[in-house]
Amino acid sequence: MSMAQVCCDSAVTAAPVAGPEAEARARARAERRRRAAEAGRWKHAAAAGTAAADATRKRSLEAGELLVARKHGAASVAGRRREMEDAVSVRESFAAEGDADGGGRRDFYGVFDGHGCSHVAEACRDRMHDLLAEELAAADGSGSAATWTAAMERSFARMDAEAMSAGGSAACRCDPHKCDHVGSTAVVAVVEERRVVVANCGDSRALLCRGGGAPPLPLSSDHKPDRPDELERIEAAGGRVIFWEGARVLGVLAMSRAIGDGYLKPYVSSVPEVTVTDRADADECLILASDGLWDVVSNEAACEVARACLRRGRARWCAEAAALLTKLALARRSSDNVSVVVVDLRRRDH
Amino acid sequence: MDQQGAGGDAEVPAGLGLTAAEYEQLRSTVDAHHRYAVGEGQCSSLLAQRIHAPPEAVWAVVRRFDCPQVYKHFIRSCALRPDPEAGDALCPGRLREVSVISGLPASTSTERLDLLDDAARVFGFSITGGEHRLRNYRSVTTVSELADPAICTVVLESYVVDVPDGNTEDDTRLFADTVIRLNLQKLKSVAEANAAEAAATTNSVLLPRPAE
Repeated sequence: MSMAQVCCDSAVTAAPVAGPEAEARARARAERRRRAAEAGRWKHAAAAGTAAADATRKRSLEAGELLVARKHGAASVAGRRREMEDAVSVRESFAAEGDADGGGRRDFYGVFDGHGCSHVAEACRDRMHDLLAEELAAADGSGSAATWTAAMERSFARMDAEAMSAGGSAACRCDPHKCDHVGSTAVVAVVEERRVVVANCGDSRALLCRGGGAPPLPLSSDHKPDRPDELERIEAAGGRVIFWEGARVLGVLAMSRAIGDGYLKPYVSSVPEVTVTDRADADECLILASDGLWDVVSNEAACEVARACLRRGRARWCAEAAALLTKLALARRSSDNVSVVVVDLRRRDH
Repeated sequence: MDQQGAGGDAEVPAGLGLTAAEYEQLRSTVDAHHRYAVGEGQCSSLLAQRIHAPPEAVWAVVRRFDCPQVYKHFIRSCALRPDPEAGDALCPGRLREVSVISGLPASTSTERLDLLDDAARVFGFSITGGEHRLRNYRSVTTVSELADPAICTVVLESYVVDVPDGNTEDDTRLFADTVIRLNLQKLKSVAEANAAEAAATTNSVLLPRPAE
């Protein structure tokens, strides 16, 4: 369930603020708050009647959204924030694998945490996988880390350009004058037979849960403005980071990389950091989530939750893990939207 | 903004972006409306924006205390607090409740209209509450017409504010100036677009008339 995003009208002859419109907006805000208060309620779709083993079903709940499938699950909830500005993208077999051995499958997963409005995150959800598929089709077939990095960087640059040239979506009614201060994180993962490729821009995160008692492996590094290399890059570009309720670029934005946010270019960059990681037989799952989760749940705790769901042995354990992690974040009073994707990385013979 | 001594020539404040000739024309406005008694633990700043639109068109946007989102960034919504005596009138003492977009170090701001002078084109407001770190923020915006070297409108916006604990004057000025500079750039876009549209309307109305 996506909550309607309403931004202010910007017409010079705006309707009077006091009156029916304002009352309707106030009622809508109260309703959203009521729904957020019930965010903890979750139900899983009934397993009966599934047409296909790998069928993907999306269940809209009053307070959030739960996507249930055999190989993955995703959960999103507004939580205590006023608006839902996160977006999640799951695109199975979005691009053909180009390696010499051919015929492999590539699945795309993305978490996009918007700020300022929701339309940049929504554009990322709708377009990022297409842009990446185009870039991969145009790339050489080697599948090397350098090729992946180049394809991801071009996709993110194109997504950034699209986000900044488009106005708002029909739902939010932003006009071009306003869109410069809207942006989104983007953490993207492509799961192949032999590798997981992650590209990250902002402070959402990707985490690999390895089995056999191994510690969780971060596949991304958060882009906070006070990360030493980010601080150095920003200042070299003529910007400044000040601590104004946390480290912020020009005191305004709490992340150092994002899609959009044209007004803070070049300090806030859309260049992703890319990792290419070989899969291992013992790998359990991949977790992508927005900082609404990571601000209140450690990497280790997130993996423990996922592992516990795995051990229960249910067919849809990924969706259970995603929903449970979301509930945990809310229970720990995360002050942000929370979006979680969990991907089963176990080999098919398991 | 450093305090200028009374009388005598003074340099244009650094970073203002105005020429000496322009600043000279604005001196009386600056002296009258943009000077503050800056106390210990406070800082102040003055910013300028040239706009190629008639001053009355710019003023029509600036004076909308009830609808700042027309030219200000970062506003999710704004509601004028009802005042039974004033009704819809915008007069000093009026309060507005501003809700701020996500991702910023603020969520709400309660703001009071301090000054609305249509003759002199002077607008002033202060921040009286809300969830943010700007305490005792007071601001004045003026709209002036310059004639030399070319005709244009100049908007000056100044403020004085407390420096929050843990931050420096530079930090505070950087944050506030960033927001104001963005707003003034948007004001320029909006006012120039409105003026262009008004000119087009005027031309189309005048066009059918026979040439004299």
